[in-house]
Amino acid sequence: MPAHVVIAGCALAGLLLAGPAWAADPAGEGLFVANCSACHQRNGQGIPQAFPALAGDKLVQDDPKRIVAVLLNGRGGMPAFKTQLIDEQIAAVASYVRGAWGNHADPVPAGLVAAARTEAAAPVADRGLQAH
Amino acid sequence: MAEALPKPVPRLLSSPSRRQFLYRLGAIGGVGAVMAGLEAFGMSVASAQTAPPALTGSGAGKRVVIIGAGVGGMTAAYELSKLGYQCQIIEARSFAGGRCQTARAGFSLTELGGEAQHCTFDDGQYINHGPWRIPFNHQSTLHYTKEFGVPLEVMVNDNDASYVLFEGGSGPLAGQPVRKAQVAADMRGHTAELLAKAVRGNRLDVPLSAEDQEVFVSYLVREGYLSSRDLSYSGADGRGYDLWPGALTEPGPGRLSTPFPMADVLHSKAWRTLRSVAGFSQQRTMFQPVGGMDRIAAGFAAKVGHMIQYGTVVERIDQDDHGVDVAWVHAAGQRGTTKANYCVCTIPLSVLRHIEAALPDATKQAMSAVAYQPVGKIGLQMKRRFWEEDHFIFGGHVYTDNEDIGSLSLPSWDWQGAKGTVLGYYQFDAAAIKVSAMTPAERAEFATAFGQKVFPQYRENVEKSFSVAWHRVQYNMGGWAEWDEEGRRTAYPVLCQPAGRIYLAGEHLSYLTGWQAGAIESAWLQIAKLHHQASA
Repeated sequence: MPAHVVIAGCALAGLLLAGPAWAADPAGEGLFVANCSACHQRNGQGIPQAFPALAGDKLVQDDPKRIVAVLLNGRGGMPAFKTQLIDEQIAAVASYVRGAWGNHADPVPAGLVAAARTEAAAPVADRGLQAH
Repeated sequence: MAEALPKPVPRLLSSPSRRQFLYRLGAIGGVGAVMAGLEAFGMSVASAQTAPPALTGSGAGKRVVIIGAGVGGMTAAYELSKLGYQCQIIEARSFAGGRCQTARAGFSLTELGGEAQHCTFDDGQYINHGPWRIPFNHQSTLHYTKEFGVPLEVMVNDNDASYVLFEGGSGPLAGQPVRKAQVAADMRGHTAELLAKAVRGNRLDVPLSAEDQEVFVSYLVREGYLSSRDLSYSGADGRGYDLWPGALTEPGPGRLSTPFPMADVLHSKAWRTLRSVAGFSQQRTMFQPVGGMDRIAAGFAAKVGHMIQYGTVVERIDQDDHGVDVAWVHAAGQRGTTKANYCVCTIPLSVLRHIEAALPDATKQAMSAVAYQPVGKIGLQMKRRFWEEDHFIFGGHVYTDNEDIGSLSLPSWDWQGAKGTVLGYYQFDAAAIKVSAMTPAERAEFATAFGQKVFPQYRENVEKSFSVAWHRVQYNMGGWAEWDEEGRRTAYPVLCQPAGRIYLAGEHLSYLTGWQAGAIESAWLQIAKLHHQASA
């Protein structure tokens, strides 16, 4: 397991003990800042003509299966995070996004991520040592 | 700028509506039909991969607007001009080359959502933050380096002396920089020993005759440097010496190094760097232009630079039965429209899908099917070439299982020079997204901290840095197109077809995605089709 996952996993252990306040959870926010903010920006506003805003976005606040599928498998210019983040991390970051910047959607339980992962078990491509 | 624009193309009186026009597009035959037509015209494309299509006839009196002065767009302009077409290239940036860029002193980049970076490398120092390799089998790219007189030098794409650093394994080698030659010699030597002994001892059910089994064992002895006496592996001089051989009696013959136990190599996972042969696009001989990859852009620009309208961003693309209108806005705020008979559009699909364009719905749908690869690179200018001076590593890559780094690479230019510029990381996918959230200074620190694990002299020598995250670069929005099987099957063929008078080209329309050769060869094939349509 890559070192960064281990570190994030430790942060997550604290999170699990902290209770169900997913939306305000610093672990979800930390994961968002590290993995998502480069494009969607810290304020969730994205960049017009480039990166979609998540604040007020319908898909994000729709059936949680949708945001989980995008996080796991990627979409358009967004890469898949299924090999980078574990179920609890995907649930935490999805929950953060669904509750931040005025969004009002329920948090996502990790079990839903696990189920989605099993459904879409596409093989990970073997890139080899170098590309381009 | 305005006076450089081509004169408007006269329009016929009755033009069909866009809806009627797009409806008719569906009636156009597939690629196969067009290719068969090209053969009939004597425009064979059989040699398309090594040279431009041999097109006959003339394009005189016809205008082609080419969107994008990258390698693909400039290829189209250069070749179409030879046929007499009047070409105009519209380019958003203030320079030619597209992704074919080199960062050296004076180069600037501001990523979307990022702070401005101004490269302040010393004279002669640079990093190819876009394309950086030209494999020998990319004859299309090599066609133009030869034609334009761009000097090449060998890029060391594999170096046995370089280090492998795998941190995710276990055992004494995990987290240690190990020379690639040692990993290769030991993994293959131990494997050959196991296999040879198993064959000799009849412990394997191999589909080989007794005679062939002996030949096979002979191969294993050679492959793994085994003792022909007892088939044991006890090292090989290629994995290096503890004391190098030399003159007289001290050091005299030197002292050979001792192999790592097989279990240590296995547990380290460093064997992941070994393959029987490099992938097709990564084989020796690997080239690079002397002085930076942008020498290729400069080679093209020397031929077609006068056709380029810089600093011009396309806002809308329209077409009807008679021509194409490209509406643009110039950096100075001036708006205008370029009219032409045909259009070659090389805008990356990641960007084109945000532009209003008169393309069939099927084309628009297909454009949304392709993903673009997030890619990050950083150049670190070093005060001295400690990898050469202290470690005797001349070029090549340091491989690691740290996905946030990807690989680290040492320059294959200015050997034994005073300073050098190292590629500090080259990562993809979610790792590239993550690293790109850092500021340029944080990225440099991140890269430095990793390099320090490989070379004790790393941190003290870092003096300047320049980084790029291609998914945050305006007008690119990604390193290259990443097609999956489904996209290749359904969307890709749609995009390869001309959309009326608009021909898409670029690395995204090739099976050489992310390579300049893909851009060049897609342009070659598309202009052949364009010429065919224009000549009909």
